[in-house]
This record gives sequence, structure tokens and C-alpha cells, in this order.
Amino acid sequence: MRKKVQYTSTGEVVRKKPLSKRIWNHRGYYLMFLPVFLFVLIMYYWPMLGIRFAFFTYKPVGPKTFVGLKHFQSMFIDPLKAPAFWQAFKNTLELSIIKLLITTFASVIVSVFLNEMKNLFAKKTLQTIIYLPHFMSWTVVASIFTLILSKSETGMVNGLLVQWGIIEQSEKIFFLADKGWWRPIYYMVNIWKETGWGTIIFLATLSGINPELYEAADIDGASRLQKIGYVTMPALANTIITVLILNLAKVMNLFESVFVMYNIAVYDVSDVISTYIYRQTFNTFTPDYGFSTAVGLFKSLVGCVLVLVCNYLSKKTRGRGIV
Amino acid sequence: MKKKVLSVLLASAMVLSLAACGGKTDESSASTETSVATSTEASTETSTETAEAAPYELTELKVVVDGTLTATEDNGQAAFVEQWNAAVSEKLGHSITMNITQLDHSSYSDAVGRLIIGGDLPDVMIMSASMFKQYETTGLLWNMADAYDNAEFQSRLTLTSINENLKTADGALYGFAPTYGNGCVTYVKKAWLDAVGLSADDIKTFDDYYNMLLAFHNGDPDGDGVDGNTYGVIAAGYANLGEAPYVNYLPEFWQDGYPAILQDANGVWYDGFTADACKAALKRLRQGYVDGVIDPDTLTASTKIAREKWFSNEQAGSEGAFTYWAGTWYQTLTDNLIKNEVDSELVVLSPIAEIKNTLGGYINREAPVWVIVDDGDGDNSREQAVFDAFIETMLDGDKVQMLWTYGAEGVHWSTAADEFVTNPGTDNEKSYSYEEGTFHLLPSPNDANSIWKKNAMDPALVISPLTNGFKASTELSDSGNVFFTNNCVDAPAGASCETLTNYSADITDAKSAVISAVVIDGVDVDEAIATYYTGVVGTVIEQALTELNSAE
Repeated sequence: MRKKVQYTSTGEVVRKKPLSKRIWNHRGYYLMFLPVFLFVLIMYYWPMLGIRFAFFTYKPVGPKTFVGLKHFQSMFIDPLKAPAFWQAFKNTLELSIIKLLITTFASVIVSVFLNEMKNLFAKKTLQTIIYLPHFMSWTVVASIFTLILSKSETGMVNGLLVQWGIIEQSEKIFFLADKGWWRPIYYMVNIWKETGWGTIIFLATLSGINPELYEAADIDGASRLQKIGYVTMPALANTIITVLILNLAKVMNLFESVFVMYNIAVYDVSDVISTYIYRQTFNTFTPDYGFSTAVGLFKSLVGCVLVLVCNYLSKKTRGRGIV
Repeated sequence: MKKKVLSVLLASAMVLSLAACGGKTDESSASTETSVATSTEASTETSTETAEAAPYELTELKVVVDGTLTATEDNGQAAFVEQWNAAVSEKLGHSITMNITQLDHSSYSDAVGRLIIGGDLPDVMIMSASMFKQYETTGLLWNMADAYDNAEFQSRLTLTSINENLKTADGALYGFAPTYGNGCVTYVKKAWLDAVGLSADDIKTFDDYYNMLLAFHNGDPDGDGVDGNTYGVIAAGYANLGEAPYVNYLPEFWQDGYPAILQDANGVWYDGFTADACKAALKRLRQGYVDGVIDPDTLTASTKIAREKWFSNEQAGSEGAFTYWAGTWYQTLTDNLIKNEVDSELVVLSPIAEIKNTLGGYINREAPVWVIVDDGDGDNSREQAVFDAFIETMLDGDKVQMLWTYGAEGVHWSTAADEFVTNPGTDNEKSYSYEEGTFHLLPSPNDANSIWKKNAMDPALVISPLTNGFKASTELSDSGNVFFTNNCVDAPAGASCETLTNYSADITDAKSAVISAVVIDGVDVDEAIATYYTGVVGTVIEQALTELNSAE
């Protein structure tokens, strides 16, 4: 490989100072960078060494044995472990992607409605109210919904359904233990909790739309709906795509919301990779951390692929990548 | 080019430095491997080496404990430790300091696992029976058989079988239980029984019990004028597959069904979950669910939620029967009913005929044990010193046993003349007055309105009673303990082998799926069990049974 020679405007060859000298010259900056470098090294890279345990049998007691790809083999084809793993993998993608789509959709709709509100006080009050659930912990949210959706006498929803004559006393619905109901409830709870927070970015975009566009639409005789359809939505499109792409990279990170709401009756439709890892690790007194690490590593790899896909999509749609 | 070379060098340096860190971990874990291996050998040689062991002066004792030590950090633990240090130092003739690490009770086994992985081994720790089964033969634990046999407290033991039963076939003892396990009994609200015109004496069979639950569900036992807004019974899950004895929260439904690997009369291991008794139990649970006698919240309730719903101030939606721990809990449940202004009189049901005729009574769980960690150096003197300082003193009948039983003097209990009032200015105000020399419990350090009950050891369950005559238990807890002792049988011994350890999470999931499919979804029991067994779980279970039976 030939060295690239640089010239000055007068045609002289530019001679770069040796790197060590350049570092010394800029030592102040390097010194400032050092804590960040060490922090990244210790907090991000050092824990990654744990990845090697995916190739070991690693229990609290007993020898730590190198087993190669055995854990991956167990995960993918072991007749006892593989079905639950693949089910969890499928559920993770389905739950995450559907949740992402509907919460984004709900956020867009609510943002547009909020944007249309003329009464500033009502708008601010409503915004505050819909932001609040975001700040509640998933444990509290799950407790509330478990209580109001209960099949027992304490369940408010079933009580109302019976009272209104929609169902009989004997037909009460066990929302959180019914495979058919669990996912709709899960999505609903997510919409309730996260829609408000999700509107922030869309409202920011909406506030940046040039008012002249609306004025022009008014002059052209556009109705309110037409203005939403022809001015607001096109202006939001880029933001919607950005939000979707950024969140797509996080679809594998689904744990807390599922963990606090699922139960044995609905594992088939609710168990995700993280809850599967949790049970594999904590439902036994001497867990094999090697297996849990292998599942976690696979999850991370899928997440990594999704990030690259998102980056590609981002480049395609926005002209620039996200990483 | 230089830039590239430098970046490669920097990257290599980073990788090497990280690898070096990793190498350090490997080294430490390698030493753990060695220690475990050595300790296995060492433990087999204990009997010969103990006698030759050199005296070891233990000056520091690291203890890991779960929530059973009720003298927590905010509840007088510092005073407990201080008095323990003083009492044990006096006994040993040299200074010793106990350092307690109290881990979260609900995630205790996980936290212990991480401690061990991290190489931060304590000297002594507590383990539940199920946890102990999986650690027993790993080489991590010290064989204390000789130390136990020669312990000073041997002459005072009133229940010798508890620890004798913990010994392995070759006589090794890896854990010590200072108390027996205790178990659950069925409590019924007396007012509810009266309201539906029943008496506890009438509940003799499962049909009687079930009819009582039906009456609670269909009638108006809480007297709010609405029929059908109450339930028969609630529990934390239809079975607690995470911890033996699994079925103690709904014993009338499970009867002799036991969802675990069991040993028959000939010592042959078999899968209790696929046995007819379990199938019949699942059918009963399904019926209870369909008829609404079992509160549907049983599926999702934790023990805390279940008991709070049971003694809640709002009795509509509550339940009449609740199976929970005997002894001290009899008093605690009553206290909570009083606190919530609910009729507090409880009746303890005798085991129904189906339980008496099969199991013999309520199940007495296998006791939690204290284990000593073997450092694997081949020398037992340090472990013997840990035994002498910790376990030997724990049952001294006097000072140290008092600490483990009732806590610290002057903080949790006292013999000085005393007067105090709890809940002053309320309907529950109660005055206490004691003369000099009278043993009595004090208000809890973290709650002046609640009288301290006990520390880590239940005086009613201990295998060697106090010799100083101090006793502080209520009539209810005493009668509860007596009732349980007269109506209990020991839980079946748990099985332990490599296959069960490797697949325990998967097996638990598979069993949970069967229970849920049958009880909630109404899948045919035989079909559900057949799916469970003819599938891969059966292969694993067969493999486990082969391992267990060939080891016998």
C-alpha cells in the first residue's frame, strides 16, 4: 500500500508530526478523554468478558468446564429446552413489534388530537394526565390491573360487565389467565402507560410545522381532516419512521412489563426470552449460568442484527444511519 | 499507516488487558475448582482427620442468613451481634466477631449462588431443605457428622431424629437443623362457620370440607346481605412447585398427591406427579375452580397477597378457609384479624380422613439447615472451630440459645421490672407490667406498638429446649404448635441427582403447564399428564429415576 502524500498550497510536502508528539501537544484533551475512556472500558467492555461463560458449564459449585457450543445446541435442538426457547423467541418478536406499532400509532393519534386542541389549559392538563402513567413502576401498574381485571369479586371490570348484563356471573373472564385475552390486555396496558410519553416527540415535530402551510390549506378550502391528512401527517412521517426504527433496535429487551403480568396459565403467549432466562436461572437452586449466558448472548446477537437492519433502513429512508 | 498500527496496538492492548482481568478470574475459579475437588476428598476423610486436627483459633465468623433471622438491621441486629460476640468469646476463651450478611429472603438461593460464584464464601449459611438437597453432595459443604455426634448438646436433644435423618447413607452430615420444619394447618373463620350453620367438628372428610367451601361461596357468611360474593379458600398458587413440600397450602385438595419424585415403601424412586393420587388431586382442584370455591386469585396471588385478602377489613370477596403455618402464625393471623376489625376467632381443622388415612396428617416440611463451608484445605480444624463457635453454642440451653431464640437482652427481651403500653390512645391500647426477675418480651425495636415474638429459632420447634426456663409464647401459638405436633407427618424426602438439577427449571415449567391446563383450561387430566410424560419430560424423568435408583 502506497503512502498518501499531502501537499501544501505552495506545493510543499506536508510532514506530519509523529503521533506521540501530537498526543503530547494535545495532552490536555487526552487527559480529559481518559476518564471517559476508562469508564467505557470498565463499564462496557470489561463485563463483556462474561460472554465466555456461554461456552462453559458454570454453576455455583462444581468445576467450570468448557463445553463448546453445547448450550447453543441445547437451546436450539434439545427436545426439552428448545420448544420453550423458540416459543419465547417468537413471543418476544411478536409482542415487541406489535406493541411498538400500536403504541406508536396511539401516540401519533393522541399527538394529532392534542395539537388540534385550541384551549391551552385543557391541552396542558390532558398532556400532564396522560404523561403520569409513564412514571409509575411496572410493578404498581401490574398490581392495579391484576386487581381490576381479577375474576374474583374484587375485579372491577368483570363486576361492571356482569352489572351491565354483558356477561353472566358464571361467565366472568379471567383476563390475565386467558390465552386469548392476555395479549390484548398487555397491549392495552402498554398503550395506557406509554402513549402519553410517546407523544412528546410527535408534539415537538407538530409544533415545528410552518403555520403558513395551514393558512394555505385554509385558503384552498381544506377541511380540518384534510389539513390533518395533507399537512400534519406528511410532516410527521419522517419522525414516525425515525421513532419506529430507533425502537426496532430494542425489541429484544422485553422483560419487566411481561414479568409482572404473566403467569403459568399464559406462558404459551407471554413468555419472552428474558423471562425464559430468568426462570432457567432462578427456578433452580444451582443454576447453570453458562446456559443463561448463552441464551442472553443469542438475544444480544439478534438485537445487534436488528440494529444493523435499522441502520440500513434508516440510510434508505432518511439518507443517514443511526449508528 | 501509523494511525492504523497504533489503533491495532491500542485495541490489542485493550484486549490483552481485559484478557488479563479475565485470566485473574479464571485463576480464582480454578482455585475454587481445586478447593471443591479437594474438599470432596477431604470430607470423606473427615473421621480420621478430625481427631488429629490442630486447635484453630477462629476470630472472625462470616454468616449468611435469609429473612428467618428476625433481628434485622433495623430491628436490633447490632445488639444481637454484640451480645453474641461477648457470650461466645467468653465460652471459647478468646475473642470472636460474627459478621452477618442478611440477604433478601425471596431471592436468597439466587444471591447465595452469586456469592459462591464470586468466590465470596461465608463460613456458615442457612439453606432451605430443597436448596440443601442440591448443594449437599457438591463438595462445598463440610461433613459435620463427627462434630455433631460429639457435640455437648447431644445429651439435651429431645428430637434426635431430625438431624439423624439428614445423614446420608454413608453417615455424612452436611447440614444441621436446630429446629424441626413446621408445617401448615387449615384455619377457618369461626363466624363464617356459624353463619352457614356448620361446626368444625362436622368437617371430617373431603366431602364435608368441600361442602363447607360451597356454603362459604354460595351463602352469605360475611353477613353483608349478598349471596355468592365470598369464596371458600385461597392459596398462593395451586401448588408451590418451587419449594417442598409443594402442596401444603391446599392439603385437602392434594391429599396424598405429591408432585415430585418420591420413594415407595421398598425404597424405589418414582414420579409422584404422574401417579393416580396426583391425577385425582388435579381433578379436585379443577372442580374447586369450576365451582368457584377456590378464589380465582389463587393463580396469581403471592403468600402475602393471599393472607392479606383473607384477613382484609373488606370481607366481601374474602375466603373462609386458609391453610397456613402452624404455631406463631396462629397468633399472627388472629392479631391481623383483630387489627382489621374482623371477627378474629379461628378454628383449626383436624386433617380430613383422606389425609389421615393416606399421609397420616398435615405435612411437616423438611427443616432448614445451617451448613458449614469446607475450605477444601484438607484440614478440618477451621471447620471444627466454626462448628464449635456457631452450632455448638446455638443450642447451649442458655445465653447464646436465648439470643437465637428471643434476641438481645434489653432490646428484644428483659427480666427487669418494666411497664409499657402498646397502641396508646387507640381501641387496641394494651398495658404491660412486669416485676423484677420476670422474663418478658419487649416492644419490637422497629415498632413500639408490636410485641417482639422471636428471633431465628422458634422455641416451640427447637430440638433442644432452653434450660433457663424462659418462655414467652401465647396460648394460641402454644396450642397451635401442640395441635400441629399431634397431627403431622414428615414430608417425603426430596430427591437429588444430576439430571434433576440440570432440568429442574424445565420440569417445574412442564408441571406448572399441566396444573394450569387442567385447573384453568379444563384439559382432561389423563391427556395433560400423558402429554407431559410421553413427551421429552418423561425421558428426563426416566433418566433421573434411573440415576436415583441405581445410586440406592
